[in-house]
Amino acid sequence: MKGYGKLLRVNLSSGKVSKEGISDTMKGDFLGGRGFAIKLLWDEVRHVDPLSEKNKILFATGPLTGQLLPSSGKMVIASKSPLTGGYGDGNIGTMASLHLRKAGYDVMVVEGKSQNPSYLLIENESVQILDGSDLWGKNTFEAQDLLEKKYGKNSGILLIGPAGENGIRFSVVMSQKGRAGGRPGLGAVMGSKNLKAVVVKGTGSIPAADEAKLKELGRKGYDEIKRKESYEFWMRQGTMQAFDWCNENGCLPTYNFREGAFEFSKEMDGFVLEKLHTDRKGCPMCNMQCGHVIKDSSDQRAELDYENVGMLGPNIGLRSLPEVALLNRMADEWGLDTISLGSCIGFLMECSEKGLIPEKIGWGDVESVQKLIVDVGKGEGLGKLVSHGVRAAAETLGNESHRWAMHVKGLEISAYNCHACPGMALSFGTSPIGASHKDAWIIAWEISTDRLSYDKEKVQKLIEFQRIRGGFFESATVCRFPWVEVNLGLDAYPEYLEAITGSRMSWEDLYKIGDRIYHLIRAYWKRENPQFGRGWDYPPDRWFEEPQTSGKVKGVKVDREKYDRMLSWYYELRGWDRNGIPLKETLEDHGLEEVIREIG
Amino acid sequence: MADLKFFGHLADIAGTRTKEVLLEKPTALRGVLPSPFPETNIIILINDKAGTFDSTIKNEDTVVLMPILSGG
Repeated sequence: MKGYGKLLRVNLSSGKVSKEGISDTMKGDFLGGRGFAIKLLWDEVRHVDPLSEKNKILFATGPLTGQLLPSSGKMVIASKSPLTGGYGDGNIGTMASLHLRKAGYDVMVVEGKSQNPSYLLIENESVQILDGSDLWGKNTFEAQDLLEKKYGKNSGILLIGPAGENGIRFSVVMSQKGRAGGRPGLGAVMGSKNLKAVVVKGTGSIPAADEAKLKELGRKGYDEIKRKESYEFWMRQGTMQAFDWCNENGCLPTYNFREGAFEFSKEMDGFVLEKLHTDRKGCPMCNMQCGHVIKDSSDQRAELDYENVGMLGPNIGLRSLPEVALLNRMADEWGLDTISLGSCIGFLMECSEKGLIPEKIGWGDVESVQKLIVDVGKGEGLGKLVSHGVRAAAETLGNESHRWAMHVKGLEISAYNCHACPGMALSFGTSPIGASHKDAWIIAWEISTDRLSYDKEKVQKLIEFQRIRGGFFESATVCRFPWVEVNLGLDAYPEYLEAITGSRMSWEDLYKIGDRIYHLIRAYWKRENPQFGRGWDYPPDRWFEEPQTSGKVKGVKVDREKYDRMLSWYYELRGWDRNGIPLKETLEDHGLEEVIREIG
Repeated sequence: MADLKFFGHLADIAGTRTKEVLLEKPTALRGVLPSPFPETNIIILINDKAGTFDSTIKNEDTVVLMPILSGG
């Protein structure tokens, strides 16, 4: 199959570097990105401590990555997660995606552990493990500046902050002072390997079967996006248009997900952002960049999008965008995931309110939060309590706090409150990395139909979204925003693939690949966690037991019995048993026979 | 009066985020919207229930029109 490069393997313990071919079977069965990542983790990473030398971290692009196509600057970073203990990944838009492919590699596997702080320098065929002592301890902005000074701005740079060095289990991998990926603690995995950064400089061309056709399709795609009627508004507000959308629908995470509407929402919505906007940032290859830069409350440049505003704003009772921007910049500098951080802070504020901890930290107390972020990044003081996420913090504190520790499988829930969105609750429940919204953002479809229904059609729709978003987009590997945010048609993507690989794949074929990826991820969770099962697919008790007290969905909560029925339908449609484990015949149907003997 | 609320780029198209409309008789929603108005990828809620452009609205109704989004 055309359009692919090689796999680069670097062992930090031995210093050995190897370049391996990628088989056509691997390409055809798993496509790229997330698909490659789970196949490699399944084959190579079993029963290891995620922060040990034996874990591996993968940087995986897909066949669409880096091509002259809309929003194609993505890669997936994956590993066994130190936050959840299961499969963990996250996509990131970065110049490193393009450079990796231009250097001739689709995937990089980093294994072992360097004795001292180090970074990788990849320049086409040349791969070096270099001393990173000067970078260690630097925040992600400082380290980015140092590396750019040394290797030029036209370099692909991935790095971690002090939080990753300190093993904080929701630390991320950062790039370009604002791009982040790897929510389930993949920054800590890099840190555990004494790997501060990866610098990639590729100068080759990215292969394609029909370059002329691809160029034509790419130009058409970019033009179509700019002509869409929602484009101009998107460029003004980006994902922040979801802020008043969620508030209107009672879905805005507010006061640690107790409520779904914020009384101060008008002070910080997308229209307020428009007035504060000074610049735009985003990923390479994108003509609808989503990061909005404003001056934060300390008069420094800081970037905002919906997720970090939702989680570091209403969820912690903060109502000022410049103050949210300050917290977001601190999180980026430390290399902390803003979603999990916002959830941890909200959790601690509720603990303080309920007297479970002696520290006083009130809703919206931005001074205390700034100190707390430093403590979280260092893993000290009150920050130590949440340094393994809210699941572990609730286990430490007890007193029924697990009921409002807002996570699924250990990964904190992103910025959508689901008291009145049972389909979205199931989406969080069944996401393959824990409570991520990226696999199936069914909430808009759900609200457009009968939001409080628990029918099988909703479950079918959820799986369809997972196939497209979590299966295709995460493996191709391109951003989903052109599709949903400005309505770029899905029909374009098989055409892109054909021009690159020379092989025609229908959406039915791509769904099958997506399903194979989901089955294998599910099997991975089971193999690595023998106790894994149905109980892991439930959101926290808060959504079932404590209805919102205000707003248009006041009094509504998720019906546990009906959720349970939807979950059973989900398993049935997926071909999994009643405990959520893929059935033997399902695995056989997807060419995963070797999995059967390992999960019983 | 019927209250209309427009979200996202639909507010640009309508030229307002909120609008009150006095209806002499129950009217199809389509009839009170600017023309042309996008017909796809739109959520229509009439008194918090899913509706369509052909749904009949009357005074005292609250109508929300919002785009389908992707999530952050």
